[in-house]
Amino acid sequence: MKNYSFKLKIKKDLILFLLLFLLLFTISKKVFSQQVSLSISPPLIETIIKPGKSIMIAYTIKNFGDPIYLKTKVVSFEPKDNQGNIRLKNDLQGPIRFELDNADLQLERPFFLRTGASQQILLRIRAPEGAPFGDYYYTLLAETIPSGNLDEKTITQAKATIGSNILITVTDSGIIEVKPKVVIFDVLNKFKIFNKKINLFDSFDKIPVLLILENKGKNLIKPEGEIILKDSFGNQIKYQIIPKNILAESQRVIEATESSKLTEPTQNPITLVLSGFFLGLYHLSTKINFGENSPTIFANTQFFSFPFKLTVIIIFLVILIIYLTKKLHQDEEID
Amino acid sequence: MKTQIKNLKLKAISLFFLLIIFNFLFLIFNSDVVKAIDMESSRFRIESANTSSAAGNKSSASYKLSDTIGQIAAGEFSSTGYVVKAGFQYLHSIIPFKFSISNTNVDLGTLLPNTPSTAQTNLTVSFGSAGQYQVTAIEETPLKTFSGNSIPDTSCDGGAESCTESIAKNWTSNNAYGFGYNMSGDDIPTDFSTNKYRPFPDRSSNEQPVVVMSSTNVGKNRQATMTFKVNISPLQPVGNYQTIINFVATPSF
Repeated sequence: MKNYSFKLKIKKDLILFLLLFLLLFTISKKVFSQQVSLSISPPLIETIIKPGKSIMIAYTIKNFGDPIYLKTKVVSFEPKDNQGNIRLKNDLQGPIRFELDNADLQLERPFFLRTGASQQILLRIRAPEGAPFGDYYYTLLAETIPSGNLDEKTITQAKATIGSNILITVTDSGIIEVKPKVVIFDVLNKFKIFNKKINLFDSFDKIPVLLILENKGKNLIKPEGEIILKDSFGNQIKYQIIPKNILAESQRVIEATESSKLTEPTQNPITLVLSGFFLGLYHLSTKINFGENSPTIFANTQFFSFPFKLTVIIIFLVILIIYLTKKLHQDEEID
Repeated sequence: MKTQIKNLKLKAISLFFLLIIFNFLFLIFNSDVVKAIDMESSRFRIESANTSSAAGNKSSASYKLSDTIGQIAAGEFSSTGYVVKAGFQYLHSIIPFKFSISNTNVDLGTLLPNTPSTAQTNLTVSFGSAGQYQVTAIEETPLKTFSGNSIPDTSCDGGAESCTESIAKNWTSNNAYGFGYNMSGDDIPTDFSTNKYRPFPDRSSNEQPVVVMSSTNVGKNRQATMTFKVNISPLQPVGNYQTIINFVATPSF
Protein backbone atom coordinates (compact mmCIF):
# COMPACT_ATOMS: atom_id res chain seq x y z
CA MET A 1 0.00 0.00 0.00
CA LYS A 2 2.79 2.33 1.01
CA ASN A 3 4.66 1.44 -2.19
CA TYR A 4 1.58 2.24 -4.33
CA SER A 5 1.16 5.64 -2.68
CA PHE A 6 4.85 6.42 -3.30
CA LYS A 7 4.51 5.50 -7.00
CA LEU A 8 1.41 7.68 -7.27
CA LYS A 9 3.32 10.60 -5.72
CA ILE A 10 6.16 10.19 -8.20
CA LYS A 11 3.65 10.14 -11.07
CA LYS A 12 2.01 13.32 -9.78
CA ASP A 13 5.37 15.04 -9.42
CA LEU A 14 6.34 13.98 -12.91
CA ILE A 15 3.10 15.31 -14.40
CA LEU A 16 3.51 18.54 -12.45
CA PHE A 17 7.10 18.87 -13.68
CA LEU A 18 6.03 18.30 -17.28
CA LEU A 19 3.22 20.84 -16.95
CA LEU A 20 5.55 23.43 -15.45
CA PHE A 21 8.08 22.71 -18.19
CA LEU A 22 5.46 23.24 -20.89
CA LEU A 23 4.23 26.35 -19.11
CA LEU A 24 7.76 27.73 -19.10
CA PHE A 25 7.91 27.36 -22.86
CA THR A 26 4.56 28.98 -23.46
CA ILE A 27 4.93 32.02 -21.20
CA SER A 28 8.60 32.79 -21.71
CA LYS A 29 9.13 35.89 -23.82
CA LYS A 30 10.78 35.23 -27.11
CA VAL A 31 12.73 37.51 -29.37
CA PHE A 32 11.65 36.72 -32.88
CA SER A 33 13.95 37.40 -35.75
CA GLN A 34 12.00 39.81 -37.91
CA GLN A 35 12.89 40.67 -41.45
CA VAL A 36 12.05 43.99 -43.03
CA SER A 37 12.05 44.34 -46.79
CA LEU A 38 10.41 47.32 -48.44
CA SER A 39 10.33 48.82 -51.90
CA ILE A 40 9.17 52.23 -53.05
CA SER A 41 8.31 53.39 -56.54
CA PRO A 42 8.94 55.81 -58.16
CA PRO A 43 12.31 56.50 -56.54
CA LEU A 44 12.46 60.09 -57.80
CA ILE A 45 10.01 62.79 -58.81
CA GLU A 46 10.99 65.97 -60.61
CA THR A 47 8.33 68.57 -61.05
CA ILE A 48 8.05 72.14 -62.27
CA ILE A 49 4.96 73.77 -60.86
CA LYS A 50 3.21 77.13 -60.91
CA PRO A 51 2.19 78.76 -57.63
CA GLY A 52 -1.45 77.92 -56.90
CA LYS A 53 -1.30 74.55 -58.66
CA SER A 54 -1.30 71.10 -57.14
CA ILE A 55 -0.35 67.67 -58.45
CA MET A 56 -0.98 64.16 -57.21
CA ILE A 57 1.74 61.49 -57.30
CA ALA A 58 0.89 57.80 -56.83
CA TYR A 59 3.60 55.93 -54.95
CA THR A 60 3.63 52.19 -54.38
CA ILE A 61 5.14 50.76 -51.21
CA LYS A 62 5.50 47.00 -51.17
CA ASN A 63 6.31 44.78 -48.21
CA PHE A 64 8.51 41.76 -49.06
CA GLY A 65 9.27 40.97 -45.42
CA ASP A 66 7.30 40.13 -42.27
CA PRO A 67 4.06 41.97 -41.52
CA ILE A 68 4.78 45.50 -40.26
CA TYR A 69 3.33 48.79 -39.21
CA LEU A 70 4.52 51.70 -41.33
CA LYS A 71 4.05 55.42 -41.32
CA THR A 72 4.81 57.94 -44.04
CA LYS A 73 6.12 61.46 -43.73
CA VAL A 74 7.76 64.13 -45.87
CA VAL A 75 10.93 65.95 -44.80
CA SER A 76 13.20 68.42 -46.52
CA PHE A 77 16.66 67.49 -47.70
CA GLU A 78 19.80 69.26 -48.86
CA PRO A 79 22.84 68.01 -50.80
CA LYS A 80 25.43 66.70 -48.35
CA ASP A 81 28.45 66.64 -50.65
CA ASN A 82 29.31 66.85 -54.33
CA GLN A 83 28.72 63.13 -54.90
CA GLY A 84 24.94 63.04 -54.88
CA ASN A 85 24.48 62.11 -51.23
CA ILE A 86 21.78 63.87 -49.27
CA ARG A 87 21.25 65.07 -45.72
CA LEU A 88 17.70 64.70 -44.46
CA LYS A 89 16.35 67.45 -42.25
CA ASN A 90 14.17 66.69 -39.28
CA ASP A 91 11.18 68.63 -40.53
CA LEU A 92 9.39 70.03 -43.54
CA GLN A 93 10.72 73.39 -44.70
CA GLY A 94 9.59 75.72 -47.46
CA PRO A 95 6.16 76.74 -48.76
CA ILE A 96 5.16 73.42 -50.39
CA ARG A 97 2.29 71.55 -48.75
CA PHE A 98 1.86 67.77 -48.74
CA GLU A 99 -1.10 65.59 -47.86
CA LEU A 100 -2.42 62.15 -48.74
CA ASP A 101 -5.43 61.78 -51.02
CA ASN A 102 -6.06 58.25 -49.69
CA ALA A 103 -9.38 58.10 -47.84
CA ASP A 104 -8.02 55.77 -45.15
CA LEU A 105 -4.45 57.06 -44.77
CA GLN A 106 -2.77 60.14 -43.41
CA LEU A 107 0.81 61.29 -43.18
CA GLU A 108 2.43 60.42 -39.82
CA ARG A 109 -0.34 57.92 -39.04
CA PRO A 110 0.64 54.20 -38.85
CA PHE A 111 -0.88 51.65 -41.17
CA PHE A 112 -0.49 47.88 -41.36
CA LEU A 113 1.09 46.11 -44.30
CA ARG A 114 1.05 42.32 -44.42
CA THR A 115 3.65 40.16 -46.16
CA GLY A 116 3.58 40.55 -49.93
CA ALA A 117 1.05 43.41 -49.81
CA SER A 118 1.37 46.76 -51.56
CA GLN A 119 0.00 50.11 -50.48
CA GLN A 120 -0.62 52.90 -52.90
CA ILE A 121 0.19 56.30 -51.42
CA LEU A 122 -1.51 59.19 -53.20
CA LEU A 123 0.62 62.18 -52.34
CA ARG A 124 -0.88 65.58 -53.08
CA ILE A 125 1.77 68.26 -53.63
CA ARG A 126 0.55 71.85 -53.57
CA ALA A 127 2.46 75.04 -54.32
CA PRO A 128 0.40 77.75 -52.60
CA GLU A 129 -0.36 81.09 -54.24
CA GLY A 130 2.50 83.45 -53.64
CA ALA A 131 5.04 80.68 -53.08
CA PRO A 132 8.49 82.18 -53.76
CA PHE A 133 10.05 81.05 -57.03
CA GLY A 134 12.91 78.62 -56.61
CA ASP A 135 13.68 75.02 -55.88
CA TYR A 136 12.49 72.96 -52.92
CA TYR A 137 13.77 69.47 -52.21
CA TYR A 138 11.93 66.86 -50.16
CA THR A 139 11.98 63.14 -49.39
CA LEU A 140 8.91 60.98 -48.87
CA LEU A 141 9.81 58.51 -46.11
CA ALA A 142 8.10 55.25 -45.20
CA GLU A 143 9.38 54.06 -41.84
CA THR A 144 8.73 50.95 -39.81
CA ILE A 145 7.52 51.22 -36.25
CA PRO A 146 9.69 49.16 -33.85
CA SER A 147 7.77 46.75 -31.65
CA GLY A 148 8.77 48.57 -28.44
CA ASN A 149 10.52 47.32 -25.32
CA LEU A 150 11.48 43.65 -25.37
CA ASP A 151 11.86 42.79 -21.68
CA GLU A 152 14.59 40.60 -20.26
CA LYS A 153 16.90 41.03 -23.22
CA THR A 154 19.82 43.21 -24.18
CA ILE A 155 18.79 44.00 -27.68
CA THR A 156 19.27 46.40 -30.56
CA GLN A 157 16.16 47.05 -32.59
CA ALA A 158 16.49 48.20 -36.17
CA LYS A 159 14.07 50.71 -37.62
CA ALA A 160 14.00 50.65 -41.42
CA THR A 161 13.17 53.77 -43.38
CA ILE A 162 13.00 53.95 -47.15
CA GLY A 163 12.76 57.18 -49.08
CA SER A 164 11.96 58.67 -52.45
CA ASN A 165 13.17 62.15 -53.38
CA ILE A 166 10.94 64.93 -54.69
CA LEU A 167 12.55 67.83 -56.56
CA ILE A 168 10.22 70.78 -56.96
CA THR A 169 10.84 73.89 -59.05
CA VAL A 170 8.34 76.68 -58.47
CA THR A 171 8.13 79.10 -61.37
CA ASP A 172 5.44 81.22 -62.92
CA SER A 173 6.83 81.31 -66.47
CA GLY A 174 8.38 77.88 -66.88
CA ILE A 175 11.76 79.51 -67.45
CA ILE A 176 14.54 77.87 -65.54
CA GLU A 177 17.70 79.61 -64.42
CA VAL A 178 20.74 77.82 -65.84
CA LYS A 179 24.05 79.07 -64.45
CA PRO A 180 26.65 76.34 -64.74
CA LYS A 181 30.37 76.56 -64.08
CA VAL A 182 33.19 74.06 -64.47
CA VAL A 183 34.89 73.82 -61.09
CA ILE A 184 37.49 71.29 -62.16
CA PHE A 185 38.25 69.26 -65.25
CA ASP A 186 41.56 67.52 -64.96
CA VAL A 187 43.36 64.21 -64.72
CA LEU A 188 44.30 63.10 -61.23
CA ASN A 189 47.89 62.15 -60.70
CA LYS A 190 50.39 62.02 -57.91
CA PHE A 191 53.36 63.21 -59.95
CA LYS A 192 54.76 66.48 -58.66
CA ILE A 193 58.00 68.36 -59.26
CA PHE A 194 58.83 71.19 -56.82
CA ASN A 195 55.25 70.92 -55.53
CA LYS A 196 53.89 71.52 -59.04
CA LYS A 197 51.45 68.99 -60.45
CA ILE A 198 52.54 67.56 -63.80
CA ASN A 199 50.14 65.58 -65.92
CA LEU A 200 52.59 62.81 -66.61
CA PHE A 201 51.65 59.14 -66.57
CA ASP A 202 53.21 55.83 -67.28
CA SER A 203 51.80 54.31 -70.47
CA PHE A 204 50.35 51.39 -68.52
CA ASP A 205 48.73 53.50 -65.78
CA LYS A 206 44.99 53.91 -65.40
CA ILE A 207 44.25 57.60 -65.77
CA PRO A 208 41.50 59.00 -63.53
CA VAL A 209 39.62 62.04 -64.81
CA LEU A 210 37.64 64.36 -62.57
CA LEU A 211 34.92 66.75 -63.72
CA ILE A 212 33.06 68.80 -61.13
CA LEU A 213 30.31 71.19 -62.15
CA GLU A 214 28.76 73.93 -60.08
CA ASN A 215 25.20 75.13 -60.40
CA LYS A 216 25.20 78.78 -59.43
CA GLY A 217 21.54 79.20 -60.33
CA LYS A 218 18.42 78.89 -58.24
CA ASN A 219 17.01 75.89 -60.16
CA LEU A 220 18.35 72.40 -60.62
CA ILE A 221 20.11 71.61 -63.88
CA LYS A 222 20.86 68.38 -65.72
CA PRO A 223 24.15 68.22 -67.64
CA GLU A 224 24.35 66.44 -70.97
CA GLY A 225 27.32 66.04 -73.21
CA GLU A 226 30.52 64.13 -73.59
CA ILE A 227 34.15 63.89 -72.69
CA ILE A 228 36.45 63.48 -75.68
CA LEU A 229 39.89 61.92 -75.55
CA LYS A 230 42.05 62.81 -78.54
CA ASP A 231 45.60 61.62 -79.29
CA SER A 232 48.30 63.45 -81.25
CA PHE A 233 47.21 61.75 -84.50
CA GLY A 234 43.64 63.00 -84.25
CA ASN A 235 42.07 59.70 -83.17
CA GLN A 236 39.35 60.22 -80.59
CA ILE A 237 37.12 58.35 -78.16
CA LYS A 238 33.90 59.84 -76.76
CA TYR A 239 32.42 59.13 -73.33
CA GLN A 240 28.84 60.19 -72.68
CA ILE A 241 28.07 62.13 -69.51
CA ILE A 242 25.37 60.61 -67.29
CA PRO A 243 22.64 63.26 -66.93
CA LYS A 244 22.32 63.50 -63.14
CA ASN A 245 20.73 66.51 -61.51
CA ILE A 246 22.83 69.27 -59.97
CA LEU A 247 20.73 70.95 -57.33
CA ALA A 248 20.50 74.72 -57.00
CA GLU A 249 23.63 76.42 -55.67
CA SER A 250 25.56 73.19 -55.29
CA GLN A 251 28.32 71.20 -56.95
CA ARG A 252 28.35 67.64 -58.26
CA VAL A 253 30.97 65.23 -59.50
CA ILE A 254 29.89 64.33 -63.02
CA GLU A 255 30.05 60.72 -64.13
CA ALA A 256 30.70 59.45 -67.62
CA THR A 257 29.39 56.15 -68.91
CA GLU A 258 32.78 54.43 -68.63
CA SER A 259 32.93 55.13 -64.88
CA SER A 260 30.01 52.76 -64.31
CA LYS A 261 32.39 49.94 -65.20
CA LEU A 262 34.53 50.69 -62.14
CA THR A 263 34.65 47.56 -60.03
CA GLU A 264 37.02 48.65 -57.30
CA PRO A 265 35.75 51.18 -54.75
CA THR A 266 37.62 54.47 -54.93
CA GLN A 267 38.20 56.77 -51.98
CA ASN A 268 37.93 59.89 -54.07
CA PRO A 269 35.14 60.51 -56.54
CA ILE A 270 36.11 60.00 -60.17
CA THR A 271 34.32 60.96 -63.36
CA LEU A 272 36.04 58.54 -65.67
CA VAL A 273 38.94 56.11 -65.65
CA LEU A 274 40.93 55.85 -68.88
CA SER A 275 42.75 52.58 -69.30
CA GLY A 276 44.88 51.12 -72.08
CA PHE A 277 48.34 51.84 -73.49
CA PHE A 278 48.96 55.56 -73.87
CA LEU A 279 51.96 57.03 -75.64
CA GLY A 280 52.54 60.71 -76.25
CA LEU A 281 50.41 63.77 -75.73
CA TYR A 282 46.64 63.42 -75.25
CA HIS A 283 43.98 66.10 -75.21
CA LEU A 284 40.87 65.75 -73.07
CA SER A 285 37.95 68.04 -73.65
CA THR A 286 34.36 68.23 -72.55
CA LYS A 287 31.35 69.99 -73.97
CA ILE A 288 28.27 70.19 -71.77
CA ASN A 289 24.84 71.66 -72.30
CA PHE A 290 21.78 71.77 -70.07
CA GLY A 291 18.93 71.54 -72.51
CA GLU A 292 17.78 73.73 -75.34
CA ASN A 293 18.67 77.46 -75.20
CA SER A 294 20.92 76.79 -72.26
CA PRO A 295 24.58 77.76 -71.90
CA THR A 296 27.10 75.37 -73.38
CA ILE A 297 30.28 75.08 -71.39
CA PHE A 298 33.64 73.76 -72.47
CA ALA A 299 36.75 72.68 -70.66
CA ASN A 300 39.94 70.99 -71.71
CA THR A 301 43.14 69.60 -70.33
CA GLN A 302 45.96 67.37 -71.50
CA PHE A 303 48.35 64.76 -70.28
CA PHE A 304 51.45 62.97 -71.46
CA SER A 305 52.18 59.29 -71.24
CA PHE A 306 55.47 57.51 -71.62
CA PRO A 307 56.48 53.92 -70.73
CA PHE A 308 58.77 54.98 -67.85
CA LYS A 309 58.61 51.66 -66.05
CA LEU A 310 59.42 49.80 -69.24
CA THR A 311 62.33 52.20 -69.94
CA VAL A 312 63.73 51.60 -66.46
CA ILE A 313 63.51 47.85 -67.01
CA ILE A 314 65.23 48.17 -70.41
CA ILE A 315 68.01 50.35 -68.92
CA PHE A 316 68.47 47.85 -66.13
CA LEU A 317 68.66 45.01 -68.65
CA VAL A 318 71.16 46.91 -70.82
CA ILE A 319 73.37 47.58 -67.79
CA LEU A 320 73.07 43.96 -66.77
CA ILE A 321 74.00 42.76 -70.27
CA ILE A 322 77.00 45.12 -70.41
CA TYR A 323 78.11 44.02 -66.98
CA LEU A 324 77.78 40.33 -67.86
CA THR A 325 79.57 40.81 -71.19
CA LYS A 326 82.34 42.69 -69.45
CA LYS A 327 82.65 39.99 -66.83
CA LEU A 328 82.69 37.31 -69.52
CA HIS A 329 85.51 39.11 -71.33
CA GLN A 330 87.43 39.49 -68.09
CA ASP A 331 87.05 35.76 -67.41
CA GLU A 332 88.22 34.99 -70.94
CA GLU A 333 91.28 37.24 -70.44
CA ILE A 334 92.14 35.50 -67.18
CA ASP A 335 91.79 32.11 -68.88
CA MET B 1 92.35 43.42 -75.86
CA LYS B 2 92.48 45.85 -72.95
CA THR B 3 91.78 48.77 -75.28
CA GLN B 4 88.73 46.91 -76.68
CA ILE B 5 87.34 46.40 -73.18
CA LYS B 6 88.01 50.01 -72.33
CA ASN B 7 86.15 51.09 -75.50
CA LEU B 8 83.22 48.83 -74.69
CA LYS B 9 83.09 50.20 -71.17
CA LEU B 10 83.10 53.75 -72.50
CA LYS B 11 80.37 52.90 -75.00
CA ALA B 12 78.18 51.38 -72.23
CA ILE B 13 78.62 54.38 -69.95
CA SER B 14 77.85 56.70 -72.84
CA LEU B 15 74.72 54.73 -73.74
CA PHE B 16 73.56 54.77 -70.15
CA PHE B 17 74.00 58.51 -69.83
CA LEU B 18 72.40 59.09 -73.22
CA LEU B 19 69.30 57.20 -72.11
CA ILE B 20 69.10 59.16 -68.87
CA ILE B 21 69.49 62.43 -70.77
CA PHE B 22 66.88 61.28 -73.28
CA ASN B 23 64.38 60.56 -70.50
CA PHE B 24 65.18 63.75 -68.69
CA LEU B 25 64.60 65.77 -71.85
CA PHE B 26 61.27 64.07 -72.36
CA LEU B 27 60.26 64.88 -68.81
CA ILE B 28 61.24 68.50 -69.06
CA PHE B 29 59.72 68.93 -72.51
CA ASN B 30 56.37 67.51 -71.49
CA SER B 31 56.07 69.23 -68.14
CA ASP B 32 56.60 72.49 -69.98
CA VAL B 33 53.69 71.67 -72.29
CA VAL B 34 51.28 71.18 -69.39
CA LYS B 35 52.58 74.25 -67.60
CA ALA B 36 51.97 76.38 -70.66
CA ILE B 37 48.32 75.30 -70.82
CA ASP B 38 47.82 76.30 -67.20
CA MET B 39 49.36 79.69 -67.78
CA GLU B 40 47.07 80.42 -70.67
CA SER B 41 44.16 80.17 -68.23
CA SER B 42 41.93 79.10 -71.06
CA ARG B 43 40.97 75.72 -69.72
CA PHE B 44 37.37 76.71 -69.13
CA ARG B 45 35.22 78.59 -71.56
CA ILE B 46 31.65 79.54 -70.84
CA GLU B 47 29.38 80.64 -73.60
CA SER B 48 26.17 82.55 -73.19
CA ALA B 49 22.75 81.11 -73.85
CA ASN B 50 22.32 82.49 -77.35
CA THR B 51 25.54 81.33 -78.94
CA SER B 52 25.70 79.30 -82.08
CA SER B 53 26.76 76.18 -80.21
CA ALA B 54 23.52 76.09 -78.26
CA ALA B 55 21.54 76.73 -81.41
CA GLY B 56 23.42 73.97 -83.18
CA ASN B 57 22.30 71.42 -80.70
CA LYS B 58 18.69 71.91 -81.63
CA SER B 59 19.20 70.54 -85.11
CA SER B 60 21.40 67.68 -84.00
CA ALA B 61 20.07 64.25 -84.93
CA SER B 62 21.20 62.78 -81.64
CA TYR B 63 19.37 65.33 -79.55
CA LYS B 64 16.93 63.77 -77.09
CA LEU B 65 13.79 65.74 -76.37
CA SER B 66 13.19 63.84 -73.12
CA ASP B 67 16.46 65.14 -71.74
CA THR B 68 15.59 68.82 -72.05
CA ILE B 69 13.94 70.17 -68.96
CA GLY B 70 13.51 73.67 -70.29
CA GLN B 71 11.75 72.76 -73.49
CA ILE B 72 9.32 70.32 -71.85
CA ALA B 73 8.56 72.94 -69.26
CA ALA B 74 7.88 75.53 -71.92
CA GLY B 75 5.49 73.27 -73.84
CA GLU B 76 3.41 71.54 -71.19
CA PHE B 77 3.81 74.15 -68.52
CA SER B 78 1.75 76.82 -70.24
CA SER B 79 -1.31 74.55 -70.59
CA THR B 80 -1.29 72.61 -67.30
CA GLY B 81 0.77 74.74 -64.97
CA TYR B 82 3.02 71.85 -64.08
CA VAL B 83 5.36 69.22 -65.49
CA VAL B 84 6.11 65.97 -63.71
CA LYS B 85 8.81 63.42 -64.44
CA ALA B 86 9.19 60.17 -62.52
CA GLY B 87 12.31 58.07 -62.15
CA PHE B 88 15.81 58.59 -63.43
CA GLN B 89 16.09 59.58 -67.07
CA TYR B 90 19.38 57.79 -67.61
CA LEU B 91 17.85 54.50 -66.46
CA HIS B 92 15.03 54.87 -69.01
CA SER B 93 12.50 53.15 -66.74
CA ILE B 94 10.92 53.54 -63.33
CA ILE B 95 12.67 50.97 -61.18
CA PRO B 96 11.49 50.47 -57.58
CA PHE B 97 14.05 51.14 -54.87
CA LYS B 98 14.23 48.24 -52.39
CA PHE B 99 15.79 48.02 -48.93
CA SER B 100 15.93 45.00 -46.59
CA ILE B 101 17.17 44.30 -43.07
CA SER B 102 17.56 40.58 -42.36
CA ASN B 103 16.91 40.85 -38.62
CA THR B 104 15.42 43.87 -36.88
CA ASN B 105 15.69 42.40 -33.36
CA VAL B 106 19.41 41.90 -32.83
CA ASP B 107 19.89 39.95 -29.59
CA LEU B 108 23.22 40.74 -27.94
CA GLY B 109 22.72 37.94 -25.39
CA THR B 110 23.76 37.98 -21.75
CA LEU B 111 26.54 40.48 -21.26
CA LEU B 112 29.54 39.48 -19.14
CA PRO B 113 32.23 41.95 -18.04
CA ASN B 114 35.34 42.02 -20.24
CA THR B 115 33.75 39.49 -22.60
CA PRO B 116 32.70 41.17 -25.87
CA SER B 117 29.36 40.15 -27.27
CA THR B 118 28.58 40.45 -30.99
CA ALA B 119 25.55 39.97 -33.21
CA GLN B 120 24.90 40.60 -36.88
CA THR B 121 22.29 41.80 -39.32
CA ASN B 122 22.42 42.10 -43.10
CA LEU B 123 21.47 45.20 -45.07
CA THR B 124 20.48 44.71 -48.71
CA VAL B 125 19.75 47.34 -51.35
CA SER B 126 18.38 46.72 -54.84
CA PHE B 127 17.85 49.30 -57.52
CA GLY B 128 17.42 47.56 -60.83
CA SER B 129 20.42 47.63 -63.10
CA ALA B 130 21.97 50.94 -62.06
CA GLY B 131 21.47 53.90 -59.79
CA GLN B 132 22.91 55.76 -56.87
CA TYR B 133 21.89 55.32 -53.24
CA GLN B 134 22.93 55.73 -49.62
CA VAL B 135 22.01 54.03 -46.34
CA THR B 136 22.55 56.02 -43.17
CA ALA B 137 22.44 54.86 -39.55
CA ILE B 138 21.91 56.58 -36.21
CA GLU B 139 21.08 55.32 -32.71
CA GLU B 140 18.13 56.97 -31.03
CA THR B 141 19.94 56.76 -27.66
CA PRO B 142 22.97 54.84 -26.36
CA LEU B 143 22.22 51.29 -25.16
CA LYS B 144 20.35 51.89 -21.90
CA THR B 145 18.08 50.31 -19.36
CA PHE B 146 14.57 51.42 -18.49
CA SER B 147 15.97 52.95 -15.29
CA GLY B 148 18.44 55.07 -17.26
CA ASN B 149 21.76 53.22 -16.88
CA SER B 150 23.63 53.26 -20.15
CA ILE B 151 26.55 51.62 -21.93
CA PRO B 152 28.68 54.35 -23.52
CA ASP B 153 29.46 54.37 -27.22
CA THR B 154 32.84 52.83 -27.93
CA SER B 155 36.00 54.77 -28.62
CA CYS B 156 37.65 51.47 -29.66
CA ASP B 157 41.09 50.62 -28.20
CA GLY B 158 41.83 54.28 -27.41
CA GLY B 159 44.99 56.29 -27.99
CA ALA B 160 46.04 56.00 -31.61
CA GLU B 161 43.20 53.53 -32.07
CA SER B 162 40.47 55.94 -30.97
CA CYS B 163 37.51 55.62 -33.34
CA THR B 164 34.86 58.23 -34.06
CA GLU B 165 31.46 58.24 -35.76
CA SER B 166 33.23 58.68 -39.09
CA ILE B 167 36.52 56.79 -38.65
CA ALA B 168 36.73 53.10 -37.79
CA LYS B 169 39.67 51.90 -35.68
CA ASN B 170 40.78 48.64 -34.10
CA TRP B 171 38.76 47.38 -31.17
CA THR B 172 40.40 44.19 -29.94
CA SER B 173 41.11 44.92 -26.28
CA ASN B 174 38.77 43.26 -23.80
CA ASN B 175 39.41 46.19 -21.47
CA ALA B 176 38.00 48.71 -23.97
CA TYR B 177 34.31 49.13 -23.18
CA GLY B 178 31.35 50.39 -25.11
CA PHE B 179 28.95 49.77 -27.97
CA GLY B 180 29.84 50.00 -31.65
CA TYR B 181 29.59 48.40 -35.05
CA ASN B 182 31.66 46.98 -37.89
CA MET B 183 30.70 46.75 -41.56
CA SER B 184 31.69 44.22 -44.19
CA GLY B 185 30.42 43.49 -47.68
CA ASP B 186 29.36 45.71 -50.58
CA ASP B 187 29.47 49.49 -50.79
CA ILE B 188 30.71 50.08 -47.24
CA PRO B 189 32.95 52.96 -46.08
CA THR B 190 36.59 52.24 -46.89
CA ASP B 191 37.82 52.62 -43.29
CA PHE B 192 36.15 49.38 -42.20
CA SER B 193 38.03 46.07 -42.10
CA THR B 194 38.22 43.14 -39.69
CA ASN B 195 38.19 44.27 -36.03
CA LYS B 196 37.67 47.91 -37.00
CA TYR B 197 34.67 49.52 -35.36
CA ARG B 198 32.91 52.84 -35.09
CA PRO B 199 30.44 54.16 -32.51
CA PHE B 200 26.96 55.04 -33.75
CA PRO B 201 26.06 58.72 -33.88
CA ASP B 202 23.56 59.50 -31.14
CA ARG B 203 20.37 61.36 -32.03
CA SER B 204 19.75 62.22 -28.35
CA SER B 205 23.06 64.16 -28.47
CA ASN B 206 21.99 65.95 -31.68
CA GLU B 207 24.51 64.04 -33.80
CA GLN B 208 23.96 63.51 -37.53
CA PRO B 209 23.38 60.10 -39.18
CA VAL B 210 26.39 58.57 -40.93
CA VAL B 211 26.51 56.79 -44.26
CA VAL B 212 27.10 53.04 -43.80
CA MET B 213 26.45 51.98 -47.39
CA SER B 214 26.59 54.02 -50.57
CA SER B 215 27.27 53.55 -54.24
CA THR B 216 26.97 55.42 -57.48
CA ASN B 217 26.09 52.19 -59.23
CA VAL B 218 23.93 50.05 -56.98
CA GLY B 219 22.90 47.17 -59.20
CA LYS B 220 20.94 44.30 -57.69
CA ASN B 221 21.17 42.92 -54.15
CA ARG B 222 24.08 44.91 -52.81
CA GLN B 223 24.56 43.38 -49.38
CA ALA B 224 26.56 44.42 -46.33
CA THR B 225 26.76 42.86 -42.88
CA MET B 226 26.63 45.04 -39.81
CA THR B 227 28.22 43.49 -36.72
CA PHE B 228 27.14 45.02 -33.44
CA LYS B 229 29.64 44.71 -30.59
CA VAL B 230 29.23 45.47 -26.92
CA ASN B 231 31.76 45.06 -24.11
CA ILE B 232 30.99 46.06 -20.53
CA SER B 233 33.14 46.83 -17.51
CA PRO B 234 32.79 44.96 -14.22
CA LEU B 235 31.20 48.14 -12.79
CA GLN B 236 28.37 48.19 -15.35
CA PRO B 237 25.01 48.00 -13.49
CA VAL B 238 22.95 44.89 -14.10
CA GLY B 239 19.99 45.31 -16.46
CA ASN B 240 18.53 44.83 -19.91
CA TYR B 241 20.05 47.38 -22.23
CA GLN B 242 18.21 48.39 -25.37
CA THR B 243 18.31 50.92 -28.18
CA ILE B 244 16.86 51.55 -31.63
CA ILE B 245 19.09 51.99 -34.67
CA ASN B 246 17.41 53.92 -37.46
CA PHE B 247 18.52 52.90 -40.95
CA VAL B 248 17.43 55.24 -43.73
CA ALA B 249 17.85 54.12 -47.34
CA THR B 250 17.42 56.76 -50.02
CA PRO B 251 18.17 56.85 -53.71
CA SER B 252 20.05 59.84 -55.03
CA PHE B 253 18.66 62.62 -57.15
